[in-house]
Amino acid sequence: MSLNTDMTVNRITDEIWEIPPSEKSGMLVPARIYATREILQAMDSGVFDQVTNVACLPGIRRYALCMPDGHWGYGFPIGGVAAFDVQDGIISPGGVGYDINCGMRLIRTDLTLADVQPHLERLMTELFRKVPAGVGASGFVRLSREEFRRVMTGGARWCVERGYGWHRDLVRMEEGGCIEGADPSIVTDHAIQRGINQLGTLGSGNHYLEVQVVSNERIYDPVTAATLGITGHEQIVVMVHCGSRGFGHQVASDYLKVFEKSMRRYGITVKDQQLVCAPFRSPEGQEYFSAMNCAANTAFANRQVITHQIREAFATVFGRSAEALGMELVYDVAHNIAKVERYSEGDLVVHRKGATRAFGPGSPELPEPFRQTGQPVICGGSMETGSHLLVGTDQAVRDTFGSTMHGAGRTMSRAQAKRTVHGAQLQQQMKQRGILVKAVSMSGLAEEAGVAYKNISEVVESVDRAGIAKKVAELRPIGNIKG
Amino acid sequence: MAWTFRFLEEIALADIGFEAEGESIEEVFLGATQALLESMATLSTVAETWERAIERSDVDPSTLLFDWLSEVVYWKDAAGVVFRKAPLTLTQEHDTWLLRARLIGALVDQDTQELHADVKAVTKHLYELTQTAGRWKARVVLDV
Repeated sequence: MSLNTDMTVNRITDEIWEIPPSEKSGMLVPARIYATREILQAMDSGVFDQVTNVACLPGIRRYALCMPDGHWGYGFPIGGVAAFDVQDGIISPGGVGYDINCGMRLIRTDLTLADVQPHLERLMTELFRKVPAGVGASGFVRLSREEFRRVMTGGARWCVERGYGWHRDLVRMEEGGCIEGADPSIVTDHAIQRGINQLGTLGSGNHYLEVQVVSNERIYDPVTAATLGITGHEQIVVMVHCGSRGFGHQVASDYLKVFEKSMRRYGITVKDQQLVCAPFRSPEGQEYFSAMNCAANTAFANRQVITHQIREAFATVFGRSAEALGMELVYDVAHNIAKVERYSEGDLVVHRKGATRAFGPGSPELPEPFRQTGQPVICGGSMETGSHLLVGTDQAVRDTFGSTMHGAGRTMSRAQAKRTVHGAQLQQQMKQRGILVKAVSMSGLAEEAGVAYKNISEVVESVDRAGIAKKVAELRPIGNIKG
Repeated sequence: MAWTFRFLEEIALADIGFEAEGESIEEVFLGATQALLESMATLSTVAETWERAIERSDVDPSTLLFDWLSEVVYWKDAAGVVFRKAPLTLTQEHDTWLLRARLIGALVDQDTQELHADVKAVTKHLYELTQTAGRWKARVVLDV
């Protein structure tokens, strides 16, 4: 088998591949990659190098993992999962990413394609107007510093209390949209200044808001889908992909600097500058964890404010309230975060970077609506190929610290995509195929073309076969907003 | 102008990498700054209606360059601006390098400006500032 690495990679099953600790000096545990043979062969060399670097970090338990959508990242690969003992392990911003609590949200509706198609142009224009995207965009919510600190501790709960959403939304979010342990007093002024005007904005890059259709033939598990509010019959749903914006980016940058200095004091060495870390129980480790939770809550709030704006846009265009349109939240899930979770080894700091929590029906942490189905897992594909709804499994909890994939994963650089694809032409071609795209940046649009990504269906198939998430439905795009 | 820069494809699949070169440290600072500014917008479409003077110092020029580029990214979000240019000078006083710069640009305007990437951060991934055969070279990867 031809791979982009010289390391020995052993087959465990057709979807699990293991690099033994003997392959790199300092590896404390094996590295495991979840992928089909074809996906593994296409993975860039950075994945193998980075996942084995992660396996060298102090206090790591069981395996360093990479999901099938994995590719080169900073420190951890994208798709990376690793769990560290709370007593002797570390916490690393490189295992969370710059966009803290970047995540996915899915909103259902009672509308069908037939209802929406005649109004699609107006709907996308209204959504583009109400949900600012792109460089330097600011949101409509004006906050004092004191109020912004309340967002940091309250997350989506703060939004609902201010009228930006419904109380029942909260039960359909990871952690109820509000993580405990956020301490705004340790967040820098720089971070506050960067994020204070950005609540309710999408950002750019691979972030998007997408109007999608669910057809009957693309529902793989009708019972679970119906329980989650996905009924098919050309049903319209809305997906949002974004995170904590400049606030989270600054928190990550701030603590990379802090850890760079403190790491020497703790006698920790790492294989990559982007893996700087601190013992989880150290003052620096606890401060980063608190600041990261502030950013995570801000991301939940960001997606909640965007949801409010989406509901308003639909209500304006269709002349009925969002409640009358059945615009209930399906779920909101983070894919860039570190959390303390309990496994057979005890309490572990689970880092997921470009990986989604995927708790199964047996998980006591899940609220009532998901005790039968497992936790919804929302995986965003490219804007041309569609996305997937899955659910978590008890096997994921046993095998991968309750984690699975998060999206398609890139295969082509941004520069190469821009050379291959012309933004305005792509927009026109997609329109002819029935996908209406509104974009702030045409070069940004070209960078996100479908050819730049792995085939998400293959990636989804591999996690389904590995048993670390189960397919529920495929969601086909008809409208997309990009920064 | 003796500085140059080029965007790198092979080291940043999902992001933006670039390499800047110059005959002096000041030139490599200018080249790296230009690459960062061009990552965010087409400079000719940005007016000159916003300005901020910035001074920074460090004994380590590599740290100074990293902090300066990070400061540019910070102002993009904090002031909601993109940039047209950033003239700068770099001087050494005793052991310390002193950067004096002006960030010049305008509030983001999607109707008149050609906007590109919303840069999240300057990263330490493969980051380096080196001097080889009399030329200074910086390699930078931006998270976008």
